[in-house]
Amino acid sequence: MTARRSPNSKRKEAKKLLAALAVVVLLCLLPFSTTSPYYLHTFIITFIYVISAASLRTILLSGQISIAHGAFMGVGAYASAILAKELDWSPWLTMPIGGILAMAFGATTGYPLTRVRAIYFSMVSLFLGLAIVALMGVLQGITGGDIGMIDIPPLSTIAIRGLPAVDFGASKVPSYYFFLILTFVVLLILYRIEHSHVGMSWKAIAQSYMVASSVGVNESGQRLLAFAVGCFFAGIAGAGYAHYNMVLTRSSFGFLPSINLLIYVLVGGAGSFIGPVVGTAVLVIVPEVFRSLKAFVPFVFGGIMLFVVFFMRQGIAGLFKQLSVKLSGTGEKEMPSRAA
Amino acid sequence: MLLETKALSKHFGGLAAVSLLDISVREGEVVGLIGPNGAGKTTVLNLITGFLKPSQGRIFFEEKEISHKKPHTIARLGIGRTFQLAYLFPDFTVFENIVASFHIHPRTGFWEALLNTSSCRAKQGDIEEQAAEIMRLVGLEPVKEALGRNLPHGYQKLLSMARALAVKPKLLLLDEPIGGMSPQEIAFAMTVIEKVRTQGIAILLVEHNMKIMPLCDRVVVINFGNKIADGSMAEVRQNEEVIKAYFGRDDA
Amino acid sequence: MTPETAVQTVANTLMLSAMYILVALGFALLMNILGILNFAHAAIYMMGGYICFELITLAGVNHWAALLIAAVSVGLLGFFIERFFFRPFLKNMNNIVIITLALIVILEATVNVTVGSFIRRIPSFVPGAFRFGNVSLSGDRIAAFVIGSLLLLAAFLFIRKTRTGMQMLAIAQDPEAAELQGIHTRRIFALTTAIGCALAGVSGSLMGAVLSLSPFMGDYMLVKAIEIVILAGIGSIGGVLIGGLILGALDASLPLFIGGSATDLIGLCIVIVLLLFRPQGLFGHEA
Repeated sequence: MTARRSPNSKRKEAKKLLAALAVVVLLCLLPFSTTSPYYLHTFIITFIYVISAASLRTILLSGQISIAHGAFMGVGAYASAILAKELDWSPWLTMPIGGILAMAFGATTGYPLTRVRAIYFSMVSLFLGLAIVALMGVLQGITGGDIGMIDIPPLSTIAIRGLPAVDFGASKVPSYYFFLILTFVVLLILYRIEHSHVGMSWKAIAQSYMVASSVGVNESGQRLLAFAVGCFFAGIAGAGYAHYNMVLTRSSFGFLPSINLLIYVLVGGAGSFIGPVVGTAVLVIVPEVFRSLKAFVPFVFGGIMLFVVFFMRQGIAGLFKQLSVKLSGTGEKEMPSRAA
Repeated sequence: MLLETKALSKHFGGLAAVSLLDISVREGEVVGLIGPNGAGKTTVLNLITGFLKPSQGRIFFEEKEISHKKPHTIARLGIGRTFQLAYLFPDFTVFENIVASFHIHPRTGFWEALLNTSSCRAKQGDIEEQAAEIMRLVGLEPVKEALGRNLPHGYQKLLSMARALAVKPKLLLLDEPIGGMSPQEIAFAMTVIEKVRTQGIAILLVEHNMKIMPLCDRVVVINFGNKIADGSMAEVRQNEEVIKAYFGRDDA
Repeated sequence: MTPETAVQTVANTLMLSAMYILVALGFALLMNILGILNFAHAAIYMMGGYICFELITLAGVNHWAALLIAAVSVGLLGFFIERFFFRPFLKNMNNIVIITLALIVILEATVNVTVGSFIRRIPSFVPGAFRFGNVSLSGDRIAAFVIGSLLLLAAFLFIRKTRTGMQMLAIAQDPEAAELQGIHTRRIFALTTAIGCALAGVSGSLMGAVLSLSPFMGDYMLVKAIEIVILAGIGSIGGVLIGGLILGALDASLPLFIGGSATDLIGLCIVIVLLLFRPQGLFGHEA
């Protein structure tokens, strides 16, 4: 029997990569067709939340449904903002540090979380997220509490001799490209992880922790790893948000934002890699399109959620998968009736 | 002595599921663990593989104590197991089920995997070849693309064995490997077990169905968590206590 | 802490606990009997307050009548929600989670858009304050405590003593067995939701007078309700009483010393530790 990496699956992978590159190229061209900062802003916010949603899905892969992801975005955001504002460090440095701190925090709090599974895990994560936000309130000396933080420095200007300086404060265009590239890189990394043996052992744990343990998978260790990796990228996204928005309030990282992220993933389809991307894009861009009636955004949001639940059980990406299966004619083969 | 338990006991509340059990398995041996329903056989397997902690007593594998180790550590030491209810990974195909079970050997590091280095890809190719081998050995070729959740019962049991073999065990624990199978399936499963045995892997199997007995070098009979007989099939058959206990009838 | 403050704190504890328990009880009933975590309960609590507010200020309805009508209205709303949004999905918890979240988003947005988000207050049910020695307690707080306690007493008696109540408990223990025994589970589900929502509506109205109204006031209360339910333990309805008292005591006294955020943090940490090391709470059975 030939190895599984048959020409067929290689072709599929190549097609996927090509499609992704095509999307990236299109997105690169966007700023040329419109200079409206409003559209650019919408896309930048989408990119940030795509990174968050995709990293949330990474945690979901291991069977852990976390409702604390927004809070970890906040950890990265505040960490990076405080270091940049109070200590004058360059945001280019504080952003990855924010990610690392979020990861460290996630690893520490995630460790006791590996004791519990399923709905209990989700409940504890909910309270963990709330506790983190409460902590932000307690530390209001440095976080600004409910009033929030302002005057957070943007990403510092890139000045390479011989090339024009890239000023992030002047227009949104540099930020747009930065987040586009960042999102692409992060998605690439998450894709590789998911399709490695590490990702496979996470999916194994999600399906049956008993069987996974019996073949040598360290359940708590791997779950912790998944959680830490997810929190790292959440922190990066949060830090990026901090330096883009230049203002932070702790309500941006509480219960509702964490739920939003979960909804982005579920609506887009938790079973596929691009699910979170699609879900985030739809649920961030569509409400912005209705922006003139900004107050009605929650209705659109709630409406989409109900629609998905009542009519589309596998989320939007699942819909596409079903379509592509029907179109390509692949399906499950006939089962022989018994062994031997 | 490959595996040895000394005075192994497990109490649930006031109930003694397993009581002062001494069993042993030598290298390359096939030992059958039989007894009536509820005798504690699966509990013994769960204790050995670390899914349950012993209330008392000790377990030794290759002369080293494993009494309180976690399941994944015990798997790495070389003990593979199947589950009575044929648990598997329902959303993976049969092939993926086996590949996923190659978690221990060989080991690719996190960064290797991330960067998809050529050594990582080579190891992955290696794993897939070995998985294919096991699939052939166990007879799962015809269903290799089927999802775990869609497998008929007989194939599920075979897949359990395939998974356990991916661990490259020195000792294989089989929990009712032929339970619920048709006569043809049983015959086939027994040839598979025989093939495994010829590779030098020791086997401790739990079974009701007496048809599997010819495969066993030795048989241990337990009832109410206590060992009541230990010897060859012929010896045990004549043991009065065993005859008194509910022995389990031949199927078919 | 002066004796006056101490008495004041105890009074606040009692009132706060009563309000918390009104909401937590409804939440616990839905959790134990229907098996769902109804995030929308927060919105129900809030809507009870707003309906009462509108009845009093716009329609000039008498306070107590408004309270009653508000309670019944949200009870009916709960009935409606259960029938069309919960019942079709009771087998699939993921969907229920999305639905209750969608409902809370939509309901809170409805109020936000129609009435506006700035803080209001329901005019006093019992204006003025009463003096007991050196201590002065506001009429509303006393009324809240009294009404809350009476309702809770009624609710507990209903559950423990009436046939319907016992049927509810039966379903909570084993829904399939209850169905086999001929209990009309669907009817009980509807009734349970209606009662739970009505209680939350009363709490919202009373709190709207004691504190204030805002479209998102339910979010805070929801966290409290879940904390209480976890303290009490899965399957325990009586434990909600104790859990509510404990949390009420914490929230009434600690902020005086360490401030609001820190108090919230402590409450949350207690719950986290409980979930990790004693998930059955104080009175629940092993899950």
